[in-house]
Amino acid sequence: MKPYEWMVRYTAQTEWVRGGGLCIWLSFFAGILGSGSYLVSLYFNSATGALVSWLVIVALKGGLHIADARKPLGLWRMVFGVRTSWIARGMGFTICLALFGAIQLFLSYESPGSSFETLFKALTGIAAAAVLLYEGFTINSIVGIPFWNSGLLPATLMSWGIFQGLALVGFVGSQADGEKTLGAGNAVFLAVTVVLTCLYFWNAAYAGATSKESVKEILIGRLGLLFWIGTVAIGFAAPGFILLSGYDTDPVARATLFVLEALGCLSFTYGVFRAGLYSPLV
Amino acid sequence: MGWALGDGYTGEKERRMARWGMVIDLARCVGCYACMIACKEEHFLPPGVFWGRLLVTETGKYPRVRKVSIPVLCNHCEEAVCVKVCPTGASARRKDGVVTVDSHKCEGCRCCVVACPYQQRTYLREKNKEYFPAQGLTEFERIGQILYPHEARSVTKCNFCAERIDDGIRKGLKPGLDREATPACVNMCMVKARRFGDLGDPDDPVSVLIRERKAHPLRPELGSKPSVYYID
Repeated sequence: MKPYEWMVRYTAQTEWVRGGGLCIWLSFFAGILGSGSYLVSLYFNSATGALVSWLVIVALKGGLHIADARKPLGLWRMVFGVRTSWIARGMGFTICLALFGAIQLFLSYESPGSSFETLFKALTGIAAAAVLLYEGFTINSIVGIPFWNSGLLPATLMSWGIFQGLALVGFVGSQADGEKTLGAGNAVFLAVTVVLTCLYFWNAAYAGATSKESVKEILIGRLGLLFWIGTVAIGFAAPGFILLSGYDTDPVARATLFVLEALGCLSFTYGVFRAGLYSPLV
Repeated sequence: MGWALGDGYTGEKERRMARWGMVIDLARCVGCYACMIACKEEHFLPPGVFWGRLLVTETGKYPRVRKVSIPVLCNHCEEAVCVKVCPTGASARRKDGVVTVDSHKCEGCRCCVVACPYQQRTYLREKNKEYFPAQGLTEFERIGQILYPHEARSVTKCNFCAERIDDGIRKGLKPGLDREATPACVNMCMVKARRFGDLGDPDDPVSVLIRERKAHPLRPELGSKPSVYYID
């Protein structure tokens, strides 16, 4: 693109999907996955699930933020703008989740059932819910991109988080008697995620010309193949098939289910990031 | 009447805060790109980085087609979304309305770049990018690295030539009237399509122009209250 062509037609957001910006997209994905699975782990009392989720948040999400940061030692500054910046709030919630999660995991190992463990489970749950919520609001708050500026986006991403979380906890194992409910919950959240995704696109298509262009990019444009194969076939259809045929008994099916759902979420978030268009200035 | 330094007040006699702004007369603009080049030269901007741009497009349908040139730059919005989303406080709005980026505080998260609906911020990926690849830095580029260093992996944008404004005010000059205290793009415009001044002063030439010529900002529906106005 020539300098004089800048913003004279629909211009795609590239900063968070190009070069080092890929780390930001992946950290969004890790945040959705880690916080969603942490909530599911707490609900099903799965210590292994909580540990894996904590690692996803600390090692994967934290690692990606550090990899992308200009001065990793200066990352502490990122909680300064907490009054107005969703990303600053998110960093704060992520730090809380990492700290409370570490204490809760230690207490679950050392003194399970203690009142302190219950307290830290509650605190970690609140922090995980906040992280899951902020992921959507961080991009939803960007008014310049009408496709992202929809109230349904945070809800859709939260649903993706729980949906994947159920698959992850089902994969790594649940301690409680929630084995059967995991499969049922996964099926319910598959349906909820499909409905929310459809509603989000439908709502965006009627939210103005720029937003409609974004939806067209995803459904029939340059991102169409990625969406129909990555999100619909791999993320929705294949998990649906597995859930209908032997999820409760087959450990390989559980692993496959998690991988498919994670790939579906990767594809969906990448598509949403890539389809973020700015309205022309002239 | 005195004018404000970046974070201060106006002169002793009248303690009023200035709010710097610009008016661009599109009927006068001939699309010569001099403003873009002046800005690049003033701030020693590396290749591919533009603090100000001249957008060229067409309106209408054949045979009634019209070429349109619109100079754009950071709008220094009163409700700057880039400042709100900055998690580190690197992006800030001075009391005189100039939106600046402290590259030492910037973590390079690019939130502000994504949030700016006018897309007038640039993430600087490399520090030593050459204008003439594989031929080394020119003397001009080397001087620029000393006089106006840009931090790699940080965000950069137009600052209304804040250095010129501040230095000019210290010398008792009036930004917008005295060349030494006026942004480079305004000085360079040979058809005087750009005017710079204090939007807070109703008698300032820019305020008069906005009032009398019905100047409008770009995309006012966003509610960011830009400080750059256009006359059609």
